[in-house]
Amino acid sequence: MTRDWWKHLILILGALVVIAPFYMMLSYSLKSPGEIDRGEGGFFGRQEMMIDERCVALRDPNRDEVASAAKRFPGLTDREIRDALITEAEADCAMRPAVFNYTMAFTEAPLLRYLLNGVIVTVSIFVIQVLVALPAAYALAKLRFWGREAVFSLVLFCLLIPVHAIALPLYIMLAKLGLTNTYAALVVPWTISVFGIFLMRQFFMTVPDDLIDAARMDGMTEFSIVWRVMLPTAVPALLAFAIFSVVAHWNDYFWPRIVVTGSRELFTPPLGLREFKGDGDGSFFGPMMATATVIVCPLIVAFLLAQKRFIEGITLSGMK
Amino acid sequence: MADLHIDGVVKSFGETQVLKGISLDIRHGEFIALVGPSGCGKSTLLRIIAGLESQSAGDIVIAGRSVAGVRAADRNLSMVFQSYALYPHLSVADNIAVPLRMRTMGAVQRLPLVGRWMPGAAERNREIDAEVRKAASTLEIETLLDRKPGQLSGGQRQRVALGRALVRDPAAFLLDEPLSNLDAKLRVQTRGEIAELHRRLGATFIYVTHDQVEAMTMSSRIAVMMEGQILQCDAPDLVYEDPEDIRVAEFIGSPKINILPAELNGGSLRVLDRDIARLTRVADQPGIRLGLRPEALRLSGADSVLTGVVAHHENLGSEVFAQIEVPGLSERVVLRADPSARRRLGLGATVGLDFDIGDALLFDTSGKRLRPVIEAARAAHQVA
Repeated sequence: MTRDWWKHLILILGALVVIAPFYMMLSYSLKSPGEIDRGEGGFFGRQEMMIDERCVALRDPNRDEVASAAKRFPGLTDREIRDALITEAEADCAMRPAVFNYTMAFTEAPLLRYLLNGVIVTVSIFVIQVLVALPAAYALAKLRFWGREAVFSLVLFCLLIPVHAIALPLYIMLAKLGLTNTYAALVVPWTISVFGIFLMRQFFMTVPDDLIDAARMDGMTEFSIVWRVMLPTAVPALLAFAIFSVVAHWNDYFWPRIVVTGSRELFTPPLGLREFKGDGDGSFFGPMMATATVIVCPLIVAFLLAQKRFIEGITLSGMK
Repeated sequence: MADLHIDGVVKSFGETQVLKGISLDIRHGEFIALVGPSGCGKSTLLRIIAGLESQSAGDIVIAGRSVAGVRAADRNLSMVFQSYALYPHLSVADNIAVPLRMRTMGAVQRLPLVGRWMPGAAERNREIDAEVRKAASTLEIETLLDRKPGQLSGGQRQRVALGRALVRDPAAFLLDEPLSNLDAKLRVQTRGEIAELHRRLGATFIYVTHDQVEAMTMSSRIAVMMEGQILQCDAPDLVYEDPEDIRVAEFIGSPKINILPAELNGGSLRVLDRDIARLTRVADQPGIRLGLRPEALRLSGADSVLTGVVAHHENLGSEVFAQIEVPGLSERVVLRADPSARRRLGLGATVGLDFDIGDALLFDTSGKRLRPVIEAARAAHQVA
């Protein structure tokens, strides 16, 4: 233990570097704009009541309202009634900074809609990726056919192509097909994952041939072997792939930014961050960070659940 | 009734020929052991029978119907694998039910979740359940039905694999070294159980093993395979007592048969420069070999054919095996003796060994059995 203290020190430093941005995100999502600007208030901020200037501005009383409120304030001048109304509005619009930030996140932008879009897009991508990758990986790992090695080399070669290099041709193809600004544009380019095929192929290589032969003897077709035998044994590998796939596409900012240009209806969660990117009048960091926190939460929850499944795993000892 | 004929089956992987024209007729209800050293092609032959591998030439006929081009599932055979190959994600009951489900239920009825609500599915499921229970009770694994394969011991998994094979009524059972992953004690026990199961079911069993003891104890006929050929296919006692080929004689029997160099010269059979017997009606041959089972040798006096020094001995309680170093022989001679002879077989003791020429097996230079010779030898011996 004492001999290895430096290892722990390095690991702790590394962990701090990784956690720092998350710390800032969480902290900013709780603080008032003033505290964020001045960099004070520690992690939670002082959580003093703050007044939402925009809320007050929206309730700025006009002449009719002042006139109709005259009954409630007998004997006061119009000016005094107006001041009283503003004070009332300020009281109504006062809230804790944390509440303010998170309320803003959900009310200013249709964040729930964005989250739903994110779920639709990532789940569609993952499901189709699995539908394509499992049979492909099974064929590459377990079937003997002419040109198998060549096809597998192509898969490996495709792993080397960076997404950004083919983004423009992809965009043009989608545009010519009239698919920009649709869910299809967000999903289709990612449905064939060479990484998924590669990963599952490597896993299938470890599945004993006897198991597949047993399934054949039991009367299964190759297609049922993929879904009834390979899929259940591959759950741990699929979870690993799911983490890569879901994290990559849930967090993707680049591709949705390119193909979703008009309607906010199709925005994915990361695009939602743009809502608080005030161009001229400064950024709303509090609500922006609150949005970021909300976006990250489903992933963290999903990971914690998947991690438990990882450890449980499906033991392959039945075959040994 | 399902007879199984293997007709001139050849299998080549590229240039190498793994099976060189195998022919074998298996009658319904037989227990055939395919035995041979690893790499002799016995597993390949079994996989070809099963339909998991295709032959390069030749034909397999099951119940009078050629199965060339028929896929494994449609040949109505079941197979037990060395690794058991149980589905790790299914319970024991589901594992056993798979072959029935795949055969008797439609694709829609098999769908997960919704399948059970399809018309007829509930009734089929009940029937399958009953058959699974029947198979489980045959193998005494009813208590394990809800467990996953990962929670079972090797012997229990082996039974489940057997259960999956016998739950439907196949034309033949194919077993690929099903005992080799079990420990020695369990292997002996399971050996007896499989033989008993065969008698009870009266079905055809084709059993691949490299262990000659398994082959000897369980089968009605043994097919000894070497280098892609069946050297001999006979009942276990015939294969042991009357081998056609020196390789069969050497492979079957533990401890191994003693092989002594011999020659035929002027009608006289000579071993270690001593005349053993006079033979008539045989051509002279140098470099023949004489095979003697350990139990064919007996201890004798000083003036014996073989005289040597005890180099090692193993007392098994009911019998004693002694390895005897005989000058002039490259390999030690193994003798099986009665425990009463233990005192004479102390390490370093000099002993004489004798045998009856009638118990000796003679093989020619190429390893083929010399039958007329031994009969002539016996006659000559009696005359002398």
